[in-house]
Amino acid sequence: MKIWRILLAVVGIGIGTYGISQLLTQVPRQTLVLVALWLIGALIIHDGLLSPAVVGVGAALRRYVPDRGRRYLQFGLIMAAMVTVIAVPMIYRARTQPPAKALLLQDFGINLTVLLAAIGGGTLIAYAIRVARDRSVPGRPPPNQAHE
Amino acid sequence: MPTVPPSTRPAWWPHFNSTLRSTAVTARLGLVLGIAIGACFLTGLLSYFQYQAWEWLPPPASPVWGYRVTQGVHVATGMAAIPLVLVKLWSVYPNNFRWPPFRSVKRVVERITLALLVSATLVQLFTGFFNVLNWYPFRWDFVSVHYRLAYIVVGSLLLHVAVKLPDIVYGLQTKVAEGDVLTEIPWNENPESHSIAGPLPPPVTPGLSRRGVLTAAGAGIGVVVVTSVGQTLTPLEPIGLLAVREPSKGPQGVPVNRTAEEANVIGAASAPDWTLTIMGPKPYALSLAEIEEMAVHGARFPISCVEGWSANADWRGLRLLEIVERAGGTADSQIRVRSLEAAGFFNKTVIFGPQLSHALLATHLNGERLSVDHGYPLRLIAPNRAGAFNTKWLATIEFIS
Repeated sequence: MKIWRILLAVVGIGIGTYGISQLLTQVPRQTLVLVALWLIGALIIHDGLLSPAVVGVGAALRRYVPDRGRRYLQFGLIMAAMVTVIAVPMIYRARTQPPAKALLLQDFGINLTVLLAAIGGGTLIAYAIRVARDRSVPGRPPPNQAHE
Repeated sequence: MPTVPPSTRPAWWPHFNSTLRSTAVTARLGLVLGIAIGACFLTGLLSYFQYQAWEWLPPPASPVWGYRVTQGVHVATGMAAIPLVLVKLWSVYPNNFRWPPFRSVKRVVERITLALLVSATLVQLFTGFFNVLNWYPFRWDFVSVHYRLAYIVVGSLLLHVAVKLPDIVYGLQTKVAEGDVLTEIPWNENPESHSIAGPLPPPVTPGLSRRGVLTAAGAGIGVVVVTSVGQTLTPLEPIGLLAVREPSKGPQGVPVNRTAEEANVIGAASAPDWTLTIMGPKPYALSLAEIEEMAVHGARFPISCVEGWSANADWRGLRLLEIVERAGGTADSQIRVRSLEAAGFFNKTVIFGPQLSHALLATHLNGERLSVDHGYPLRLIAPNRAGAFNTKWLATIEFIS
């Protein structure tokens, strides 16, 4: 494994250094300042705002939602978050372009609502099936009580 | 859950006690993300090659759908990588809170390269997505930064894989449910992490299981891909709830990237005395009527954009090679075609090699005379060629060699 690690590191440092030197020599200084600001901004937004918010939501779910239902809620929320992160910039940009481009013609607010409703509906149905099954098996306690 | 914090650690320091995070989860997410980034990098290089082709290696003309597939993959994997990288980073977030924060020079160096990897990847993926949306809140030339940043992403990613290889191997070889618990305390200092625990039973994950996290992430990304890829995978266009483009809704069934109005050519393109000037060893000119009379060759090529959309289309026009040969050129000539557009990066393009041999100067698209947004009176179209280099509103054809 050691030889692979050295090889990967050497190739990685080589490619990365090439990219940095290209950026520093081929791109105007004003652009470099903006790129640097974006790089730092991405870290601040991701690690400083988005991640703590996700951790906070996760902790709140664990605290307030029983295990059996939480499983489905978490599943639905993960899917919903992934679709939302792609849809939001599209909602913001919708219908800003000449029609000939066939670009962002749709009402993505409605489309996102449809997708979230489908995800929410699917999650609810899966949860309802689970509840019904638990009831139909006599003597089997719901899992959230089993853990306590 | 009780923990064994290093003695100096302050009481307020964050502690992560979710048993969902595990090297076994991270390694799987990282493997898929690594493959996606690799696919993005290689398909991106293929496109960049069309933008900066070497003289000794002309871009191929076949398969005709080559650029369509590679750039469709580039944009689809890039979009899929956005939610994927967010989950992957969620799974390792506690690593930001190791105590003490600066425990060794080696660790600090690793954190700096990681910061570069994470920030470059986020900026690369999001600016790429914004470019697909024709949205430029970043005020720089997209291509020149996207191209260079790609090397920084891939280089720092390979370095990251080198550093983490033992963890990756452990993570991939361990069952998801049984892997260590990833917290802010390194596993080899944390008896409760389960990886050095020996007789400890596998961690309990009340609520969603680790496999459930991976399944939900896969399902979410699947929804994003299936509802967005219709911009290039024609059968999926009707369910394109997140499709940036709807190619069939473009004029004559094909979208345009630059309208005649944006190029400021409407007047010049519709002038009845328009002529095509061929400047070669034996220069000549063709009038609009002569061009339309000669436009008898048909071809079916997709037009494919670097931004990921594409559409198959029927073209009719003149063979560029015949025009070039009449001016004294051959299939080995290097040709530059120029647009009526006065300025801009895309008002001219160089074509040589197999693409020259197969190129059409098109007058018709899908059975109709080209609309002005599609390049009336005459445009270039060649197979497996980046959309932006199928120059519209042609005015002159020049010989470079």
